[in-house]
Amino acid sequence: MKNISLTVNEKVYELTIDENMRLLDILREELGLIGTKEGCSEGECGACTVIMDGHTVNSCMIMGFQADGSNITTIEGLEKDGKLDPVQQAYVEVGAVQCGFCIPGMVLSTKNLLDHNPNPTDEEIREGLSGNLCRCTGYNKMLDATKKARKYREGEE
Amino acid sequence: MTLKEVYNGKEVNEVVELLHKYGSRAKVISGGTDVVIALRNEKISPEVLIDISKIDELKKIEDRGDHIVIGGGVTFTQIVESDLFLGNLLGLHKACKMVGSPQIRNMGTIGGNIANGSAAADSVPPLIALDAVVSLLSQNGVRKIGLEAYYHDPIKENELLTEVSFAKPKENEVLTFSKLGLRKALAISRLTLSSFVEFEGGKVKSVRVASGALAKFPMREVEVENYLTGKVLDEESVEVAIEKLKDSMDIRLKGRSTLPYKRVAISTILREALEEAMKFGEEVRA
Repeated sequence: MKNISLTVNEKVYELTIDENMRLLDILREELGLIGTKEGCSEGECGACTVIMDGHTVNSCMIMGFQADGSNITTIEGLEKDGKLDPVQQAYVEVGAVQCGFCIPGMVLSTKNLLDHNPNPTDEEIREGLSGNLCRCTGYNKMLDATKKARKYREGEE
Repeated sequence: MTLKEVYNGKEVNEVVELLHKYGSRAKVISGGTDVVIALRNEKISPEVLIDISKIDELKKIEDRGDHIVIGGGVTFTQIVESDLFLGNLLGLHKACKMVGSPQIRNMGTIGGNIANGSAAADSVPPLIALDAVVSLLSQNGVRKIGLEAYYHDPIKENELLTEVSFAKPKENEVLTFSKLGLRKALAISRLTLSSFVEFEGGKVKSVRVASGALAKFPMREVEVENYLTGKVLDEESVEVAIEKLKDSMDIRLKGRSTLPYKRVAISTILREALEEAMKFGEEVRA
Protein backbone atom coordinates (compact mmCIF):
# COMPACT_ATOMS: atom_id res chain seq x y z
CA MET A 1 0.00 0.00 0.00
CA LYS A 2 1.14 3.53 -0.72
CA ASN A 3 0.23 6.85 0.87
CA ILE A 4 -0.51 9.68 -1.50
CA SER A 5 -1.92 13.15 -1.25
CA LEU A 6 -3.81 14.76 -4.10
CA THR A 7 -6.20 17.61 -4.69
CA VAL A 8 -9.37 16.76 -6.57
CA ASN A 9 -11.88 19.49 -7.39
CA GLU A 10 -10.19 21.80 -4.89
CA LYS A 11 -10.46 19.29 -2.04
CA VAL A 12 -7.32 17.69 -0.57
CA TYR A 13 -7.35 13.92 -0.08
CA GLU A 14 -4.84 11.84 1.89
CA LEU A 15 -5.23 8.29 0.66
CA THR A 16 -3.68 4.88 1.17
CA ILE A 17 -3.89 3.12 -2.17
CA ASP A 18 -3.12 -0.23 -3.74
CA GLU A 19 0.00 0.20 -5.92
CA ASN A 20 -1.79 -1.39 -8.85
CA MET A 21 -4.55 1.21 -9.05
CA ARG A 22 -4.71 3.69 -11.88
CA LEU A 23 -5.79 7.29 -11.34
CA LEU A 24 -9.11 6.31 -12.94
CA ASP A 25 -9.63 3.59 -10.30
CA ILE A 26 -8.90 6.02 -7.49
CA LEU A 27 -11.34 8.59 -8.80
CA ARG A 28 -14.15 6.11 -9.35
CA GLU A 29 -13.66 3.56 -6.61
CA GLU A 30 -11.98 5.44 -3.77
CA LEU A 31 -13.55 8.86 -4.22
CA GLY A 32 -16.86 7.82 -5.79
CA LEU A 33 -16.42 10.31 -8.64
CA ILE A 34 -18.08 8.15 -11.26
CA GLY A 35 -18.52 10.96 -13.78
CA THR A 36 -15.13 9.93 -15.14
CA LYS A 37 -15.83 6.95 -17.42
CA GLU A 38 -13.79 3.96 -18.46
CA GLY A 39 -14.10 3.23 -22.16
CA CYS A 40 -11.30 1.57 -24.09
CA SER A 41 -8.71 1.47 -21.26
CA GLU A 42 -5.90 2.22 -23.70
CA GLY A 43 -5.93 5.91 -24.45
CA GLU A 44 -7.97 5.84 -27.64
CA CYS A 45 -11.41 7.04 -26.57
CA GLY A 46 -10.84 9.82 -24.04
CA ALA A 47 -13.87 8.91 -21.88
CA CYS A 48 -11.58 8.91 -18.81
CA THR A 49 -10.19 12.40 -19.51
CA VAL A 50 -9.52 14.61 -16.49
CA ILE A 51 -7.51 17.82 -16.13
CA MET A 52 -4.30 17.22 -14.21
CA ASP A 53 -2.04 20.16 -13.34
CA GLY A 54 -3.53 22.23 -16.14
CA HIS A 55 -3.47 19.62 -18.91
CA THR A 56 -5.96 17.01 -20.08
CA VAL A 57 -4.81 13.44 -19.50
CA ASN A 58 -6.27 9.97 -19.91
CA SER A 59 -6.72 8.81 -16.32
CA CYS A 60 -6.65 5.17 -17.48
CA MET A 61 -2.98 5.55 -18.41
CA ILE A 62 -1.67 7.10 -15.22
CA MET A 63 -0.86 5.01 -12.21
CA GLY A 64 -2.50 6.30 -9.04
CA PHE A 65 0.78 6.85 -7.22
CA GLN A 66 2.00 9.07 -10.06
CA ALA A 67 -0.76 11.54 -9.22
CA ASP A 68 0.75 12.14 -5.77
CA GLY A 69 0.91 15.91 -5.26
CA SER A 70 -1.18 16.67 -8.35
CA ASN A 71 -4.16 18.94 -8.76
CA ILE A 72 -7.02 17.28 -10.59
CA THR A 73 -10.33 18.51 -11.97
CA THR A 74 -13.05 16.01 -12.87
CA ILE A 75 -16.46 16.71 -14.39
CA GLU A 76 -17.91 16.92 -10.86
CA GLY A 77 -15.70 19.94 -10.19
CA LEU A 78 -17.07 22.18 -12.93
CA GLU A 79 -20.41 23.18 -11.45
CA LYS A 80 -19.97 26.04 -8.96
CA ASP A 81 -22.66 26.99 -6.40
CA GLY A 82 -25.36 25.22 -8.34
CA LYS A 83 -24.36 26.97 -11.56
CA LEU A 84 -23.12 25.02 -14.55
CA ASP A 85 -19.76 25.85 -16.10
CA PRO A 86 -20.20 27.83 -19.36
CA VAL A 87 -19.02 24.78 -21.29
CA GLN A 88 -21.64 22.54 -19.64
CA GLN A 89 -24.30 25.19 -20.22
CA ALA A 90 -23.40 25.41 -23.90
CA TYR A 91 -23.44 21.62 -24.36
CA VAL A 92 -26.94 21.46 -22.84
CA GLU A 93 -28.31 24.33 -24.90
CA VAL A 94 -26.85 23.19 -28.19
CA GLY A 95 -27.95 19.61 -27.58
CA ALA A 96 -24.42 18.26 -28.01
CA VAL A 97 -25.26 15.29 -25.79
CA GLN A 98 -26.88 12.04 -26.85
CA CYS A 99 -26.05 8.94 -24.79
CA GLY A 100 -23.71 10.98 -22.61
CA PHE A 101 -20.91 8.48 -22.07
CA CYS A 102 -18.22 10.56 -23.79
CA ILE A 103 -19.50 13.88 -22.44
CA PRO A 104 -17.54 14.24 -19.18
CA GLY A 105 -14.28 13.81 -21.10
CA MET A 106 -15.49 15.87 -24.05
CA VAL A 107 -16.54 18.77 -21.77
CA LEU A 108 -13.21 18.72 -19.92
CA SER A 109 -11.27 18.72 -23.20
CA THR A 110 -13.40 21.67 -24.36
CA LYS A 111 -12.77 23.56 -21.13
CA ASN A 112 -9.04 22.87 -21.22
CA LEU A 113 -8.85 23.93 -24.88
CA LEU A 114 -10.51 27.26 -24.05
CA ASP A 115 -8.32 27.71 -20.96
CA HIS A 116 -5.20 27.46 -23.15
CA ASN A 117 -6.61 29.04 -26.30
CA PRO A 118 -9.61 31.32 -25.54
CA ASN A 119 -10.35 32.04 -29.18
CA PRO A 120 -9.76 28.85 -31.19
CA THR A 121 -10.46 28.44 -34.91
CA ASP A 122 -12.76 25.61 -36.08
CA GLU A 123 -9.67 23.62 -37.00
CA GLU A 124 -8.17 24.16 -33.56
CA ILE A 125 -11.42 23.10 -31.89
CA ARG A 126 -11.52 19.87 -33.92
CA GLU A 127 -7.87 19.25 -33.08
CA GLY A 128 -8.47 20.06 -29.39
CA LEU A 129 -11.31 17.52 -29.19
CA SER A 130 -9.60 14.89 -31.36
CA GLY A 131 -8.71 12.75 -28.34
CA ASN A 132 -12.36 12.21 -27.42
CA LEU A 133 -14.42 9.79 -29.44
CA CYS A 134 -18.21 9.99 -29.63
CA ARG A 135 -20.18 7.20 -31.26
CA CYS A 136 -23.55 9.01 -31.28
CA THR A 137 -23.04 12.36 -32.92
CA GLY A 138 -21.11 13.68 -35.87
CA TYR A 139 -19.05 16.02 -33.66
CA ASN A 140 -20.58 19.14 -35.26
CA LYS A 141 -22.71 19.81 -32.20
CA MET A 142 -19.62 19.77 -30.01
CA LEU A 143 -18.02 22.27 -32.35
CA ASP A 144 -21.11 24.49 -32.03
CA ALA A 145 -21.15 24.05 -28.26
CA THR A 146 -17.49 25.04 -28.01
CA LYS A 147 -18.16 28.21 -29.97
CA LYS A 148 -21.12 29.02 -27.75
CA ALA A 149 -19.06 28.37 -24.62
CA ARG A 150 -16.40 30.69 -25.97
CA LYS A 151 -18.98 33.48 -26.19
CA TYR A 152 -20.26 32.79 -22.66
CA ARG A 153 -16.73 32.88 -21.30
CA GLU A 154 -15.97 36.15 -23.06
CA GLY A 155 -19.08 37.62 -21.45
CA GLU A 156 -17.89 36.47 -18.05
CA GLU A 157 -14.52 38.10 -18.28
CA MET B 1 -0.64 -6.40 -12.16
CA THR B 2 1.52 -7.44 -9.27
CA LEU B 3 3.40 -4.38 -8.17
CA LYS B 4 4.99 -4.65 -4.76
CA GLU B 5 6.75 -1.33 -4.52
CA VAL B 6 6.36 2.03 -6.25
CA TYR B 7 8.59 5.09 -6.06
CA ASN B 8 7.96 8.72 -6.88
CA GLY B 9 11.38 9.69 -8.23
CA LYS B 10 12.53 13.14 -7.17
CA GLU B 11 16.06 13.17 -8.60
CA VAL B 12 17.91 11.43 -11.40
CA ASN B 13 20.60 9.98 -9.12
CA GLU B 14 18.01 8.45 -6.84
CA VAL B 15 16.36 6.73 -9.83
CA VAL B 16 19.70 5.37 -11.03
CA GLU B 17 20.38 3.94 -7.57
CA LEU B 18 16.97 2.26 -7.53
CA LEU B 19 17.57 0.80 -11.00
CA HIS B 20 20.91 -0.55 -9.81
CA LYS B 21 19.29 -2.07 -6.74
CA TYR B 22 16.30 -3.72 -8.43
CA GLY B 23 17.66 -4.49 -11.92
CA SER B 24 15.21 -6.42 -14.05
CA ARG B 25 12.60 -6.37 -11.29
CA ALA B 26 12.05 -2.65 -11.86
CA LYS B 27 10.54 -0.58 -14.66
CA VAL B 28 10.62 3.16 -15.19
CA ILE B 29 7.33 4.93 -15.91
CA SER B 30 6.81 8.48 -17.10
CA GLY B 31 3.80 9.41 -19.26
CA GLY B 32 2.46 5.88 -18.87
CA THR B 33 0.92 5.82 -22.34
CA ASP B 34 2.80 2.63 -23.23
CA VAL B 35 3.76 1.24 -19.82
CA VAL B 36 0.30 1.17 -18.22
CA ILE B 37 -1.14 -0.71 -21.21
CA ALA B 38 1.77 -3.17 -21.15
CA LEU B 39 1.26 -3.73 -17.41
CA ARG B 40 -2.43 -4.43 -17.83
CA ASN B 41 -1.87 -6.77 -20.78
CA GLU B 42 0.83 -8.47 -18.72
CA LYS B 43 3.39 -7.89 -21.44
CA ILE B 44 5.60 -6.67 -18.62
CA SER B 45 5.30 -7.64 -14.97
CA PRO B 46 7.75 -5.68 -12.86
CA GLU B 47 7.63 -5.79 -9.06
CA VAL B 48 8.83 -2.24 -8.79
CA LEU B 49 7.68 0.83 -10.68
CA ILE B 50 9.68 4.08 -10.58
CA ASP B 51 7.90 7.24 -11.66
CA ILE B 52 10.09 9.91 -13.29
CA SER B 53 7.30 12.19 -14.53
CA LYS B 54 7.88 14.79 -11.83
CA ILE B 55 11.67 15.12 -12.05
CA ASP B 56 12.28 18.70 -13.18
CA GLU B 57 15.78 18.11 -14.55
CA LEU B 58 14.35 15.64 -17.08
CA LYS B 59 11.72 18.11 -18.26
CA LYS B 60 13.94 20.83 -19.69
CA ILE B 61 14.52 21.89 -23.28
CA GLU B 62 17.81 23.77 -23.45
CA ASP B 63 19.33 25.88 -26.19
CA ARG B 64 23.08 25.60 -25.61
CA GLY B 65 24.13 27.80 -28.51
CA ASP B 66 25.31 25.27 -31.07
CA HIS B 67 23.33 22.38 -29.53
CA ILE B 68 19.79 21.70 -28.41
CA VAL B 69 19.27 19.34 -25.49
CA ILE B 70 15.88 17.75 -24.83
CA GLY B 71 15.34 16.07 -21.46
CA GLY B 72 14.04 12.50 -21.52
CA GLY B 73 10.89 13.57 -19.65
CA VAL B 74 9.96 16.36 -22.07
CA THR B 75 6.42 15.82 -23.35
CA PHE B 76 5.31 16.13 -26.96
CA THR B 77 3.18 19.11 -25.90
CA GLN B 78 6.29 20.85 -24.58
CA ILE B 79 8.00 20.38 -27.96
CA VAL B 80 4.93 21.62 -29.84
CA GLU B 81 4.64 24.70 -27.61
CA SER B 82 8.37 25.51 -27.73
CA ASP B 83 9.50 28.21 -30.16
CA LEU B 84 12.83 26.41 -30.67
CA PHE B 85 11.32 23.95 -33.12
CA LEU B 86 10.10 26.28 -35.82
CA GLY B 87 11.77 27.43 -39.04
CA ASN B 88 14.35 24.88 -40.18
CA LEU B 89 13.51 22.59 -37.23
CA LEU B 90 9.79 22.50 -38.01
CA GLY B 91 10.08 18.80 -38.90
CA LEU B 92 10.34 17.87 -35.22
CA HIS B 93 7.44 20.12 -34.27
CA LYS B 94 5.33 18.50 -36.99
CA ALA B 95 6.20 14.97 -35.89
CA CYS B 96 5.34 15.67 -32.25
CA LYS B 97 2.13 17.46 -33.16
CA MET B 98 0.91 14.37 -35.02
CA VAL B 99 1.38 12.04 -32.04
CA GLY B 100 -1.87 10.45 -30.79
CA SER B 101 -4.16 13.07 -29.31
CA PRO B 102 -3.88 16.12 -27.02
CA GLN B 103 -4.13 13.85 -23.96
CA ILE B 104 -1.38 11.52 -25.22
CA ARG B 105 0.87 14.46 -26.15
CA ASN B 106 0.37 15.95 -22.68
CA MET B 107 1.71 12.77 -21.07
CA GLY B 108 3.91 10.97 -23.61
CA THR B 109 7.60 11.86 -23.62
CA ILE B 110 10.52 11.94 -26.04
CA GLY B 111 12.45 9.58 -23.75
CA GLY B 112 9.55 7.13 -23.67
CA ASN B 113 9.14 7.25 -27.43
CA ILE B 114 12.76 6.09 -27.74
CA ALA B 115 13.01 3.72 -24.77
CA ASN B 116 9.82 1.89 -25.67
CA GLY B 117 11.49 0.91 -28.94
CA SER B 118 8.48 1.09 -31.24
CA ALA B 119 9.21 0.98 -34.96
CA ALA B 120 6.45 3.56 -35.43
CA ALA B 121 7.66 6.12 -32.87
CA ASP B 122 6.83 9.47 -34.48
CA SER B 123 9.57 11.60 -32.93
CA VAL B 124 12.40 9.19 -33.75
CA PRO B 125 12.92 9.58 -37.55
CA PRO B 126 13.38 13.37 -37.27
CA LEU B 127 15.78 12.87 -34.36
CA ILE B 128 17.73 10.28 -36.38
CA ALA B 129 17.79 12.66 -39.34
CA LEU B 130 19.24 15.28 -36.96
CA ASP B 131 21.92 12.74 -36.01
CA ALA B 132 20.82 13.02 -32.37
CA VAL B 133 22.76 11.45 -29.53
CA VAL B 134 21.06 9.73 -26.59
CA SER B 135 22.46 9.90 -23.04
CA LEU B 136 21.92 6.85 -20.84
CA LEU B 137 22.84 7.25 -17.20
CA SER B 138 23.70 4.40 -14.87
CA GLN B 139 25.86 3.92 -11.80
CA ASN B 140 28.73 3.31 -14.22
CA GLY B 141 28.37 6.83 -15.63
CA VAL B 142 26.89 8.23 -18.82
CA ARG B 143 26.75 6.18 -22.01
CA LYS B 144 26.30 8.34 -25.12
CA ILE B 145 25.17 6.67 -28.31
CA GLY B 146 23.87 7.87 -31.68
CA LEU B 147 20.12 7.34 -31.96
CA GLU B 148 20.28 5.04 -34.99
CA ALA B 149 22.94 2.87 -33.34
CA TYR B 150 20.90 2.93 -30.13
CA TYR B 151 18.37 0.55 -31.66
CA HIS B 152 21.08 -2.08 -31.96
CA ASP B 153 22.35 -1.49 -28.43
CA PRO B 154 19.29 -0.23 -26.56
CA ILE B 155 18.73 0.88 -23.00
CA LYS B 156 19.77 -1.61 -20.32
CA GLU B 157 17.83 -2.41 -17.18
CA ASN B 158 20.15 -0.28 -15.01
CA GLU B 159 20.05 2.75 -17.32
CA LEU B 160 17.90 5.87 -17.41
CA LEU B 161 17.46 7.85 -20.62
CA THR B 162 18.23 11.38 -19.42
CA GLU B 163 18.51 13.41 -22.62
CA VAL B 164 18.68 13.61 -26.40
CA SER B 165 20.87 16.23 -28.02
CA PHE B 166 21.69 17.37 -31.52
CA ALA B 167 23.55 20.16 -33.33
CA LYS B 168 21.41 23.14 -34.19
CA PRO B 169 20.88 23.32 -37.96
CA LYS B 170 22.65 26.11 -39.82
CA GLU B 171 20.93 28.56 -42.14
CA ASN B 172 21.45 26.29 -45.16
CA GLU B 173 20.08 23.18 -43.41
CA VAL B 174 16.50 22.02 -42.93
CA LEU B 175 14.60 19.21 -41.22
CA THR B 176 11.34 17.96 -42.75
CA PHE B 177 8.77 15.33 -41.75
CA SER B 178 5.91 13.47 -43.38
CA LYS B 179 3.56 10.85 -41.94
CA LEU B 180 0.94 8.46 -43.19
CA GLY B 181 -1.59 7.42 -40.56
CA LEU B 182 -4.94 5.75 -41.07
CA ARG B 183 -6.67 8.94 -39.95
CA LYS B 184 -5.73 12.31 -38.54
CA ALA B 185 -5.95 11.75 -34.79
CA LEU B 186 -5.13 8.73 -32.64
CA ALA B 187 -3.40 6.94 -35.48
CA ILE B 188 -0.34 4.78 -35.14
CA SER B 189 2.01 5.69 -37.96
CA ARG B 190 1.95 3.40 -40.96
CA LEU B 191 4.87 5.21 -42.51
CA THR B 192 6.96 8.19 -41.56
CA LEU B 193 9.87 9.89 -43.22
CA SER B 194 12.13 12.68 -42.16
CA SER B 195 14.87 14.35 -44.16
CA PHE B 196 17.70 16.63 -43.10
CA VAL B 197 19.24 18.43 -46.03
CA GLU B 198 22.29 20.69 -46.22
CA PHE B 199 22.25 22.88 -49.33
CA GLU B 200 25.22 24.49 -51.03
CA GLY B 201 25.30 26.28 -54.38
CA GLY B 202 21.83 24.99 -55.25
CA LYS B 203 22.80 21.38 -54.68
CA VAL B 204 22.44 18.88 -51.88
CA LYS B 205 25.77 18.97 -50.06
CA SER B 206 24.78 16.33 -47.53
CA VAL B 207 21.54 14.60 -46.58
CA ARG B 208 20.17 12.23 -43.99
CA VAL B 209 16.89 10.45 -44.61
CA ALA B 210 15.28 8.46 -41.79
CA SER B 211 12.21 6.25 -42.01
CA GLY B 212 9.79 4.96 -39.40
CA ALA B 213 7.66 1.80 -39.59
CA LEU B 214 9.58 0.58 -42.65
CA ALA B 215 11.70 -1.89 -40.69
CA LYS B 216 12.03 -3.40 -37.24
CA PHE B 217 13.36 -0.04 -36.07
CA PRO B 218 13.43 3.50 -37.40
CA MET B 219 16.54 3.77 -39.58
CA ARG B 220 18.59 5.77 -42.08
CA GLU B 221 17.85 5.17 -45.76
CA VAL B 222 21.41 5.09 -47.02
CA GLU B 223 20.62 4.26 -50.66
CA VAL B 224 18.44 7.35 -50.92
CA GLU B 225 21.06 9.48 -49.19
CA ASN B 226 23.85 8.29 -51.47
CA TYR B 227 21.82 9.01 -54.55
CA LEU B 228 20.74 12.52 -53.48
CA THR B 229 24.16 13.70 -52.34
CA GLY B 230 25.56 16.23 -54.84
CA LYS B 231 22.31 16.36 -56.85
CA VAL B 232 20.04 19.28 -57.48
CA LEU B 233 16.85 18.56 -55.53
CA ASP B 234 14.12 18.76 -58.16
CA GLU B 235 11.11 16.74 -59.33
CA GLU B 236 13.30 14.44 -61.36
CA SER B 237 15.79 13.58 -58.60
CA VAL B 238 12.95 13.13 -56.10
CA GLU B 239 11.32 10.54 -58.40
CA VAL B 240 14.59 8.62 -58.68
CA ALA B 241 15.03 8.81 -54.89
CA ILE B 242 11.57 7.26 -54.49
CA GLU B 243 12.58 4.38 -56.79
CA LYS B 244 15.77 3.88 -54.73
CA LEU B 245 13.73 3.64 -51.55
CA LYS B 246 11.31 1.18 -53.15
CA ASP B 247 14.26 -1.00 -54.17
CA SER B 248 15.53 -1.01 -50.56
CA MET B 249 12.05 -1.86 -49.31
CA ASP B 250 11.71 -4.75 -51.77
CA ILE B 251 14.73 -6.39 -50.19
CA ARG B 252 13.95 -5.50 -46.59
CA LEU B 253 10.22 -6.28 -46.55
CA LYS B 254 10.31 -9.25 -48.93
CA GLY B 255 7.37 -11.56 -48.33
CA ARG B 256 5.58 -9.16 -45.98
CA SER B 257 1.87 -8.72 -46.67
CA THR B 258 2.20 -4.96 -46.20
CA LEU B 259 4.89 -4.54 -48.87
CA PRO B 260 2.67 -3.83 -51.90
CA TYR B 261 0.74 -1.20 -49.93
CA LYS B 262 3.79 0.45 -48.42
CA ARG B 263 5.53 0.47 -51.80
CA VAL B 264 2.78 2.64 -53.25
CA ALA B 265 2.24 4.77 -50.16
CA ILE B 266 5.91 5.59 -49.70
CA SER B 267 5.97 7.64 -52.92
CA THR B 268 3.69 10.31 -51.49
CA ILE B 269 5.41 10.37 -48.11
CA LEU B 270 8.96 10.69 -49.43
CA ARG B 271 7.86 13.17 -52.10
CA GLU B 272 6.18 15.31 -49.43
CA ALA B 273 9.25 15.27 -47.17
CA LEU B 274 11.66 16.10 -49.98
CA GLU B 275 9.45 18.73 -51.61
CA GLU B 276 9.38 20.55 -48.30
CA ALA B 277 13.18 20.54 -48.34
CA MET B 278 13.15 21.60 -51.99
CA LYS B 279 11.03 24.66 -51.14
CA PHE B 280 13.43 25.58 -48.35
CA GLY B 281 16.41 25.14 -50.71
CA GLU B 282 14.85 27.56 -53.21
CA GLU B 283 14.31 30.11 -50.45
CA VAL B 284 17.91 29.77 -49.30
CA ARG B 285 19.13 30.49 -52.85
CA ALA B 286 16.77 33.41 -53.38
